[in-house]
Formats: sequence, structure tokens, C-alpha cells
Amino acid sequence: MKGYEYHKPQTVKEAIDLMEGLENAKYIAGGTDVMVLIRQKKLAPARLISLRNIGDLNYMETEGGLRIGSAVTYNTIAKNDFVQRRYSALADAVKKVGSLQIRNVATMGGNICNAAPSADTACPLLVLDASVIIAGKTGEREMSLDDFFLGPNKVALEKGEILKGFTMPAFGENTGSAYFKHTRRQAMDLPMLGVAARVTIDIGGSEVGCKDAFCTVDSISNILKRLEDENLVCEDVRIAMGVVAPRPIRARKAEEALKGKVISEKLFEEIGEIAASESQPRDSIRGEAWYRRDMVKVLTKRAILKAVDRVIRPDDTIWPDRLW
Amino acid sequence: MDGLKFVGQRVPKKDAPLKATGDAVYIQDLKVPGMLHGKILYSKYPHARIVKIDTAKALALPGVKAVLTGADVPNNFKFGFLKDNPPLKSGKVLSTRDEIAAVAAVSLEIAEEALDLIEVEYEELPGIFDPLTAMKEGSALIHEELKSNVLKLPWKFVHGDVEAAKKESAFIAEDTFSTQWVTHCCLGTSGCVATFDASNNLTVYSNTQIPSLAQNDFLEALKTFGLKKKRVRVIQAVIGGGFGSKLDTYAYEYIAILLALKTRKPVKIVFSREEEFLATSPRQCTITKISQGCDKDGRLTFREMEMVLDNGAYTSWGATTPSVMMVPISSLYKVPNIKYTAKCVYTNNTYCQAFRGYGNPQATFAIESCLDQLAEKAGIDPHEIRRINANEPGELTPQNFKITSCGMKDCIEEVVKRLDWKGKRGKADGRGVGMASLIHVGGAARVYKSDGCGTIIKVDDNGKVDVITGSSEIGQGSDTIIAQIVAEVLGVGVDDINIINNDTDVCPWDVGAHASRTTFVAGNSALGAAEKIRDQIMEIAAKTLGEPVEALEMKDGIIFSKNDKEKNIPFGKVLRKAHYSLGGRMLVAENFYDPPNENFDQTFRGNLSVTYAYGAHGVEVEVDKETGQVKILNYIAAHDVGKAINPMLLEGQIYGGGLQGIGYALGERMIYDKGYLKNGNFLDYKMPTVRDVPPVQAVIVESDEHAGPFGAKGIGEPGLVPTAPAIANAIYDAVGVRIKDLPITPEKILKALKEKAKQNG
Repeated sequence: MKGYEYHKPQTVKEAIDLMEGLENAKYIAGGTDVMVLIRQKKLAPARLISLRNIGDLNYMETEGGLRIGSAVTYNTIAKNDFVQRRYSALADAVKKVGSLQIRNVATMGGNICNAAPSADTACPLLVLDASVIIAGKTGEREMSLDDFFLGPNKVALEKGEILKGFTMPAFGENTGSAYFKHTRRQAMDLPMLGVAARVTIDIGGSEVGCKDAFCTVDSISNILKRLEDENLVCEDVRIAMGVVAPRPIRARKAEEALKGKVISEKLFEEIGEIAASESQPRDSIRGEAWYRRDMVKVLTKRAILKAVDRVIRPDDTIWPDRLW
Repeated sequence: MDGLKFVGQRVPKKDAPLKATGDAVYIQDLKVPGMLHGKILYSKYPHARIVKIDTAKALALPGVKAVLTGADVPNNFKFGFLKDNPPLKSGKVLSTRDEIAAVAAVSLEIAEEALDLIEVEYEELPGIFDPLTAMKEGSALIHEELKSNVLKLPWKFVHGDVEAAKKESAFIAEDTFSTQWVTHCCLGTSGCVATFDASNNLTVYSNTQIPSLAQNDFLEALKTFGLKKKRVRVIQAVIGGGFGSKLDTYAYEYIAILLALKTRKPVKIVFSREEEFLATSPRQCTITKISQGCDKDGRLTFREMEMVLDNGAYTSWGATTPSVMMVPISSLYKVPNIKYTAKCVYTNNTYCQAFRGYGNPQATFAIESCLDQLAEKAGIDPHEIRRINANEPGELTPQNFKITSCGMKDCIEEVVKRLDWKGKRGKADGRGVGMASLIHVGGAARVYKSDGCGTIIKVDDNGKVDVITGSSEIGQGSDTIIAQIVAEVLGVGVDDINIINNDTDVCPWDVGAHASRTTFVAGNSALGAAEKIRDQIMEIAAKTLGEPVEALEMKDGIIFSKNDKEKNIPFGKVLRKAHYSLGGRMLVAENFYDPPNENFDQTFRGNLSVTYAYGAHGVEVEVDKETGQVKILNYIAAHDVGKAINPMLLEGQIYGGGLQGIGYALGERMIYDKGYLKNGNFLDYKMPTVRDVPPVQAVIVESDEHAGPFGAKGIGEPGLVPTAPAIANAIYDAVGVRIKDLPITPEKILKALKEKAKQNG
């Protein structure tokens, strides 16, 4: 591994100015992707500009939504109780990235800018309607995360620009979300695929009678059968999938099919099928396409159901002791 | 065995503080003055002719001191079990791990840069990546000078009459099973430093598991290089895991020697993690056809097995794994008729080597999976068929193994009890239980001519004891076990005992850390040496105290008369008396223990081990029928260990073996695609993490082996032998599908479930 210069700017402006004035330079935050790429000789920057010490990239605000700076580490997000309760899909994701050591330094901004199809926070941020704030030489601009992803390892950042942070809208009590990361082991793994879902359901202001359905170790299909009697209408829904396309994608047709409908087992089967038809997984050493497509069906159902569970049992989000 | 003070105690590992504080000097940490760094260039293709190698640019790079290619290997030197492996290849490359050039430079960075400057022109050749294709008549030859791709190693064992037994059997189960390549994943990667003195005597700092055999290998190499009558010294750095990977010498060691010879400087080669995956030798993959039969009562009548092993492009000691596979094949359960043949076949894949269990896990996977199939056919509970056929003390098995102590039935019953076998089996509701048993060598294994280990003990004036042992500490805790044994005999504390075990100039001969033999052989060797030195000390004490030797006892560092406690003398004082009196003496004892076991004869019969280790594993799993994922809910590993010298270290061996076995069963595999390794990193090679560890109960069954030190048998390997079949059997009980091809991935289970659903309409 060759040596490199290391710069530690204190402000966003300083960082942008440095990048403009230096040849062959690269921004680095947690370094959990950049350093690996350098070691693999896929990157050979002469200069690294660290974004770690910039206070303006390190914020977390929870009023009227959720705003997170790009240099906030996974563990900081994981420890936040508000994120856990109101933006559960994101909490699910940040807790499962790499290992504790990685989560102590890796940042969400880095995860998104690296733009791997398998980026763990991408699916949750997509279903949580996140937009990104981009800082550049001439000021700041905002765009939806969906537009920010251009392709594998490609995002809509112009040269010198810095992803400053993420903004997510506020969601009501009747909204829940979840992220499922399908892996071969419990830590230190990339997802074979990932599915996130957010649902807003009309629970009619009254207690849901079948709360206890979720407290069992029953199969999904049995839980859904009991839910059917409750006439739970899915008012709004987002579904996003990772690793099944060149970039993390929304399953828009599946969303359409669920929106405004009463939750039922049959509908869930259909949603799973539609989401799978929207995926284009490939064969790789990490997983076979047929299996990934099958898992889209399974995990889409599970993610939606878990999101529903989080609305119905906001104080008791411990899923029954089953594999899923 | 009452009244033991040190043996049987949970003594912490002697080297734990060193390792916990980072003070241990691994090969990675080792620096020798003037040392250069070596790097190796590997082949770009799995099978190709080297048309041209141009090293001029590399050699011209400032800081580069030498560049070697196959042309620089003197006198056509080759190493390995069949001497078919040149340290640097010329002419043809036969696999992607073939070493074709090497650089020594003043820094690692320069050496790496120089590698990129070596220009190689290849003419690519079609490769053979499947042993079955390689075996076919008319197949191209991997080694052109040989007549066949099948190695000339006739592995065949026949006992009784299998054909007749087949006719008489009430039930027969037959099937084909296969296993994958898995690698050791030592956290300390391989490496060495080679250095010559002015007289061309060689010192190799190494992390080998076989210092004495490696010394011999290097001596032979020097002779071939034209350096006759030289000395070779092997010094082991602290070793970060072995598991069999360091049971043979590797090309990189000879390359370091050649570079040191060329540059007249010490040369260090340490593998990167990627190299460790690529250029060390994994467990061989196997294809096994098996057929087993029983009578109407479930008594086994015969076992027939035919095995093909992918040898890879070169031959290491790993090609002898079929000899250890024979242990379970001939002797796991009482089976009167046996037929076994195995073929090792050259391919253009990576060449294979020893790995914890040495072939036993592959054989046991087939035997124990097939035994459940047979039990089902016969309508007998899998536990019952194992109980009926279990080995017993006093048995002489078809291979002439003399079964001495045998706790197999106890192990099986522990599993049944702790797993709630009867309550949980046969529900087919997504949860299930399975079990599998094991036999392994437990009292060494006479693979080489000698199976011995030497020990020298010396005590100093202050009552401190130095134990100089031939055995190697590779993380398993042999230093602690030996210290406990010696402490027990001498009545001094474990902390008063210093173990010296890393230098062939100092340490006596030993055949190596393999075959789960160290506690048994090195333990017995140390025990004998300790008894000799105790006798010497007692003799002097007797004279000093004016008491007969028989009346003396040694405890807590004091020697006293049993008749008169007032008559006593501290241990250290005896030693000083011996040393400082006129015509004084030193207190030194040596002992060589070579166990009374036998090499196989030409029919592969012989009592390979003085005693045999037994065990049974039971597992409860839950299978997610929608995803095919398996969760282990409970894992029982019961082992007959003779006697636990140190229950804590022993449990560590069982946990470690069990977890390595779980990786083998459920996820680990080296993915080779047409000769190219696709997942040579920890991201894509799915070794289980600490988060994947299920609840494991290590159950110690003590059968008190009379030949073992304080009754102990070996436990190094058994922990991973029955793991895969126990899990496969549990999955079958849970969801009714049997996966016969390791690893048992979610994909395979889901596919099997779908096929089953289709068949059931």
C-alpha cells in the first residue's frame, strides 16, 4: 500500500476548497470503504481529505422529522431511541452493519456515497422518503435520495461536492417501518438481499383486537389470517429492495398494489410476487438469482408485516423468537 | 484418582497474559537485523505454459536485491509427499497458486512493486477441474511424465465378505455424499524468516507445526542445493493457529531459503490474508459412494465405501488422509464386513493438505448420514441403532485396532438425555434433532516411523523447573497441560514450571502437533521425565534426611518424611545441596516416549493408536421453511477424553472444534471456478462469527485410559468430526429433506423442500 497525504479540514468550506486545490484527492469519512479499496489497489489517491472533524456534518435533529449529518456514525444512530421508535427501518439497518468496531467509525454518508447496490441504509432511507442535502462551492442543494443514486457506485455529486446530510419527514403514530437484511451469518456480512418497508395503516382509533397474534411463534400466514378480520387498511406504503438491481430500488408496482387495500394473506402473496417481478437479481458467488428472487417474496411480506406490527404494538417491538 | 492437585484443574493458559497484552511475538512481529522482505508472484492461469519471464525491470527497481524464477531452483529440487512440487515453477504452471517468481527487497512495499514489474508471457492450456473428468480414460495428464492422473497410492481396505453380507442383510441404505474445500482460517497467517550464517548453516524462524520434520525437509533441500553437511535450526515464533495447515513444508519456505542464499541476508516472507486463502492447502473435497446394511434387529452387517479425492495439482502429506478416513470406516460401530477404496486424483485445482480430523470428517459425514437412512429403512430410532452397534472396551476391530477404554455409549446417552431426544424427535414441524458419533485416534497415530516425543527436565538451584519438550504450542495449550503434569509429579506450582518448546537446537525430537497426540505423547514423555527427576531428588533428600526414599513425600515444594514430619527439607535446598557439594551434580533428566502403537501393514491393518477417542454430538435445529435458513437451538458435544487434565482448555477444544464443524456443515466453502479462487477473503468465505455461536454444551466423559498420562486421551480434532452429519440428520428430522452435499446452504434446503412439495403434489 502506498502512502498518502492526510488533510483534516474543520469546516465544509475548507474541505471543498482543499478538494478544489489538490490533485488526485479523495474525501474520506469513516474509511471503512475507502481504506479497503486502497488496500485492494482499486483506488490510489495521493491525498485523503477527512470529513471527520467537521461539526457541520455531525448533527442529529428530531424535531418535525429527522435530520442526520452525513458524518454521523452507525452506532450514534443505533443508540438513538427516537430513531428506534419512529424510524425503525433505519435502526434495523444500522445495527446490522459489519461489526461493532466498524459501526463505531463508519458513517451513513459514506454508505450512501459509496452507492453499493447492497448499501444497508439505502433501502430504509428510500422507504422513509429521505432527501439529501448537498454542499458545494456555490451553496447547498437538496434532492430526493431516489434521484441521488445514479447507478452502481455512482451518485449525483459534482466534483468537490460533499453530501452534507439527510432529511426525513415526520410520520404519525400509525406509521411503522422495518428492514430485513438477508445474510449467511449474523455479523460481518453484506446482505444477500435487503428489503425495507414502511406502512401507514388506518387502525380506526381503536385497539386492534388481534394484538396477541404477534406475540405467538405462529407462521406469517396464520398471523395474517387473524389480521384479516380487523379490516386494516394500508393507507400508504413504501417498499425498497437492495442487491436485486444495479442500485437500491423502490418496488413501485408492489406499493401501488397494496395502497388503500385491506391487509390479507392473499394480498400479501400478491405483493411478494409483484415485488419479485420488479427485481432483477443476478447470479454471483454471494447468491443465486432464483434464490434472491424467492427471498424478495418472503422478505417483502415479512418486512411489511413487521412494519404493521410496529404500529399495532409500538411498545412491544420484540418479534417472536422465530428465525424471522 | 484422588488427591490430584494440578491435574484436573481449570488452570488458565500459561501464555494467556502474553497474548492478551500483545506481547507475544508472532512471525509477523519478528525482525532480524538486516532482514529483507520477500514476495511471491503466482500464476495468472490455472494451466499454462510459461513462454517467457522477464525480470529485468523488477531487478532494476531500487531496493530490489534479488529476483528468482524456476530457472534459479538448483538441481530440479522438488518437495512434498511425492516430491512433485518445485518451489518455483518453470515450463508449465498447473494451478493458480503456482509460484513462478519471487522478489527480495529492502521493504515490503518495494517487493510488492517489483512483482508488478515482472513480465510473464503465458500460453494458456485447457485445464481439468473435476477429479471425475481427470480420471476418465484418455484424459489429458496434469503431470505429463506420469501415466495417469490417479495417484499411485492404492488405498484399499477389505475385511470379511461384503458381497455375501449384502445378500444376508435385511435392510440396505446406499447413497452418494460429497464435501467441499474448506480452509483453516488461522488468524496468524503463514510466514518464515530464513537466514544463513557465514558457514551456510541455516536458521528458519517459522510457525510450523512440525519443527523436527521441517528441519529434516530443509536439510534435504540444502543437500539438493549442493550445501552438504550443513546444520538447520528451526525456531518457532508464537503460532497463531495451525489446525493442520502447517503440517507440511510449503513452497514459500524454500523460496525464502533460496532468496536468503542468493542475497546473503535474512529474508522474511509473511502471507497476506489473500495469500493465506490462495496459497495454503485446504481440506480435500470428496465424493463418496456408501452402502451400509443391517439385519432385522438393526445390527450392522457391512459397510462399503468408494471415495474420490481431489488432490489438486501437487501432493502433500494430505494425500494420506484416506489412511485416517479408514479409522471410522473400519471401526466406527461394530461392522463385521468392510470394503473401502479411495483414489486421489490430480487436477488443476489447489492442492490439499491436512486439516483437523485428517479425512475423518469427510468419511463420518457419509457414514453417519447414511446410518440415519438405514435406521429409517429398518424402522429403528437413530439413537437405538447407534446404541445397538456402539463400540465397547475389549473389541478388536477389522483393522486390528485394540479398543481399550471406550465411553461411546456414555456419550450417546448424554446426548439423548440432554437433548430431550425422545420428547423432540420425529415432530417434523420445522424443528428437529439429530445425532452422530465419532471415533478418532486418541493415543497418537503411527503415521511416520516414529511417533515419539522427547523431554528434558532440568531444575535450578531455586527450585524452578525447566521442561524442554519437543512438542509444539500452536494455541491448543500444550504448554499448560505439560506444566500441570510435571507439577503434579514434582509437587511444585504450575507457575514454577517454564516450558521451552520452540527451538530444534535445544528441544528434543518430536513428530509434530498432529493426530490429537500432544497431550498423550508429549504428556507421557513429560510424565516419565518428571518421574525420573523426582527419583533423583528423592535420592538426595533421603541421604540428607537419613530416611529411606520410600518414606519420603513431596508436597508444596517441601520434601518430608511420612514417619516424622519434623524431618523435612525444601525442594530448592535439595537442589543446592546436589549442586554445591564436593563432586556436585546437576539435576537433569531426559525421557523419550514412543507409544506402543503400530504402523499399518500392507493390508492397512495395525493398531494405529494406543487408544481411541470417542464422542457423540447431538443438535436441535429449527429450519425456516420459507428461506431454508437453519438455526441451531441447542448443541451437545459429549466426548470420551479419558481424563480431563484441564477441563477449561478441553472445553475450549470442544467449542472450537464444534464451531469449526458448524462452519463446515452450514456455510464455509472455498469457491473455485475453473481453477480460480473466487472468495479468498473473510467477507465471502463465511467463517462463523461470534454472533453465530449457538448454545454449546461440552460434556466430558471420563473413561480413564490406563495408557494415557493420568488417564488422558487426545481431544484436538474430535470436536469437528461428527458435527456436519449431526446437523444434517437434525435437518432431516425437522423438515424431511436430506442434504448430501456440504455445505448445507439455505439454497440447497429450499430447493429440496420445493422438490419434496412437488413430489407430494
